[in-house]
Amino acid sequence: MNVICRQAVSLTQAARSFSTTSCLHELRKLSRVRVVDNSSIGRAAAVAGKPGRVIHVYNKQEVATLGDKVLLAIKGQKKRAYVVGVKQRQKAGVPRFDTNNVVLIEDNGAPVGTRITVPIPSILRSKEGDFTKILSLATKFV
Amino acid sequence: MALLAHVARGCSRIPKLQLEAALSVRFQSTLSHNDTKARRARELRPRRNYLLNDEVEQHRKSLLQQSPEVEEIPVQQAEANVPRDFRHVMPEFLPDPNPLYRDRVTEKLERMDMYRRRTCIDIPEFYVGSIMAVTMADHHAPGKQSRFVGICIQRSGTGLRADFTLRNVIDGQGVEVRFDMYGASLQKIEVLKLEQRLDDELFYLRDAAQEYSTIPFDFEPVPLPKGATVPVNSTKVKLNPRPWLERWERHELKGVEDLNLPEKKYRRARQVAKPWERWDLMKRQRESINEDEEESIMKETYMETESTRRARGRQKASLKKTR
Amino acid sequence: MLRFRIRTRPRKMASLEGLGSGPEGRLKRLRKHVTALIRHERLETTYAQCDETRGYAEKLITMAVRNGDRDKHTMEMADYWLLEKDLIHKLFKVLVPRYQSLPATATSIHRISTEYPGDGRHMGVLELKGNPWPPVRPQPRNTRLHLHNIQLEEAKKEYHQERLRAKSAAAAVPPEGSSVDGPAGSSVDPDPIDSESESGESKNSGDSSKR
Repeated sequence: MNVICRQAVSLTQAARSFSTTSCLHELRKLSRVRVVDNSSIGRAAAVAGKPGRVIHVYNKQEVATLGDKVLLAIKGQKKRAYVVGVKQRQKAGVPRFDTNNVVLIEDNGAPVGTRITVPIPSILRSKEGDFTKILSLATKFV
Repeated sequence: MALLAHVARGCSRIPKLQLEAALSVRFQSTLSHNDTKARRARELRPRRNYLLNDEVEQHRKSLLQQSPEVEEIPVQQAEANVPRDFRHVMPEFLPDPNPLYRDRVTEKLERMDMYRRRTCIDIPEFYVGSIMAVTMADHHAPGKQSRFVGICIQRSGTGLRADFTLRNVIDGQGVEVRFDMYGASLQKIEVLKLEQRLDDELFYLRDAAQEYSTIPFDFEPVPLPKGATVPVNSTKVKLNPRPWLERWERHELKGVEDLNLPEKKYRRARQVAKPWERWDLMKRQRESINEDEEESIMKETYMETESTRRARGRQKASLKKTR
Repeated sequence: MLRFRIRTRPRKMASLEGLGSGPEGRLKRLRKHVTALIRHERLETTYAQCDETRGYAEKLITMAVRNGDRDKHTMEMADYWLLEKDLIHKLFKVLVPRYQSLPATATSIHRISTEYPGDGRHMGVLELKGNPWPPVRPQPRNTRLHLHNIQLEEAKKEYHQERLRAKSAAAAVPPEGSSVDGPAGSSVDPDPIDSESESGESKNSGDSSKR
């Protein structure tokens, strides 16, 4: 038993001995995201300390950028969401955020929450289709 | 006698020299052990994609050019006393020292474009740590423009690609925007509070409490008294506990409070430090523009920007009069 | 500012302290070379090391010339790069005046022959300009006093004297004597005297008509 414990400890230490810093801050599968609308499910996930994970990105690159649709695993459910803010380095004039922000949507494209609490990149205002519903929830643009 | 005279005539001076030169060249090129095609090409055409000012001047003043159409260009005298640390005021005018990217002609043209841009938009003096506001054309915004206020955390790039990054916290969300200093969509750059910090880059603000980088959008400009030197803000930032985005103990940060890390971390930081780089004169030489070139570029920049500034002052005065 | 072309990247050099001493060991080695160069004013090692050392020595001297001994940074650098501290004095009191107004590099570098039999390293010599040693490159030999050159010189002199004498004779002596000189002159050197011989002929013809 003791031996097993020691093995386990050494394994965890080994896992920690290399850097896990994500240098490019890419939003890929299994990355954690912050839900920035006032939906109860997003808030509950944040309170529980288990923010949603990206389990699929709806584009060919499999790296989500501003305005992309992703599939989240959050509170034991699968929810679609739009990315409205990323940590990754952006072009000049496009804001970069300290967290990866998403806004949850239903399967029919309607947003789950009723208000977005953080600023939204102004460049997203050029988006059309379902995204306009999200823009109407926004309070601030940068 | 006649024969000797003949020989003497045959060995008259000029042909003999030419012959010798030709022979020596032949011998060198055939006997040299590291004689390659590339080497010969290099000797014939030295790799230099710029013209020396002296050379240009020499050709311009040569007898072939002496015609009434060639105008005499007045040489600008060094009447300007360039301030000692002017390169810190406008660092983007110094080219990238990497020899792979050096191209004197392009650099010169870029600088001319930068001066022209500076006649259209006032790009004031600012430093990392200054609080700034940038107004930018925004196609989608209702007023067709958007304004962002923040603290400058980085200045980078050279020439027309120079940029700076502003950071602010809006509704509890850290936001950073990078602006191209000479970008066409920039409409106005204001420096609300001109000051310097202890460090050249303030990326550690991402790992500090939000109040260190929170600046209200209606921040009132703090004017600096005329003739005053730029103040240095010696605030020491207290970082959040780890994990951090970078291992800050390995950076020589001056504007950060004691990090309170276990001794192990500091030991490792000492192990990976490179204190000898300070003594490496040639490393410094390779990573910087040499003093003479820097001086000439800075003199040119100072004179151009000063004349732009004076012209702008005159314009303002005339506007006031007409009002 | 350096007045010679430097490599875009530094050479990797085997260090004195064996494997793993890295760029720091490299600097330590170069420090010895720079000290030796300032001490002895001439250094003979592999060409690569000469070339690497040259930049540092040259930079140090340039800094000393530009900033003088009052500059803190320059003094720190001199203190680091010169292991024997009496050389700091030499740098500022001897070398700075020597290179103060020199519009060129303070050092010169030469390739010298590779040892045979040996390991085939390309060797070089790095030296400070104005050193007291005999020159590395042999002076061009003075061949003026070689026998054939003396003979040629004499022959030239004789020829010119003869021509002068002939000319003065032609000017002084009445026209009859000149008819004898003309063909002799043309036989000595045929090509460049063509015009002269022509003039001689014309003179002759003029003379004959007179006669």
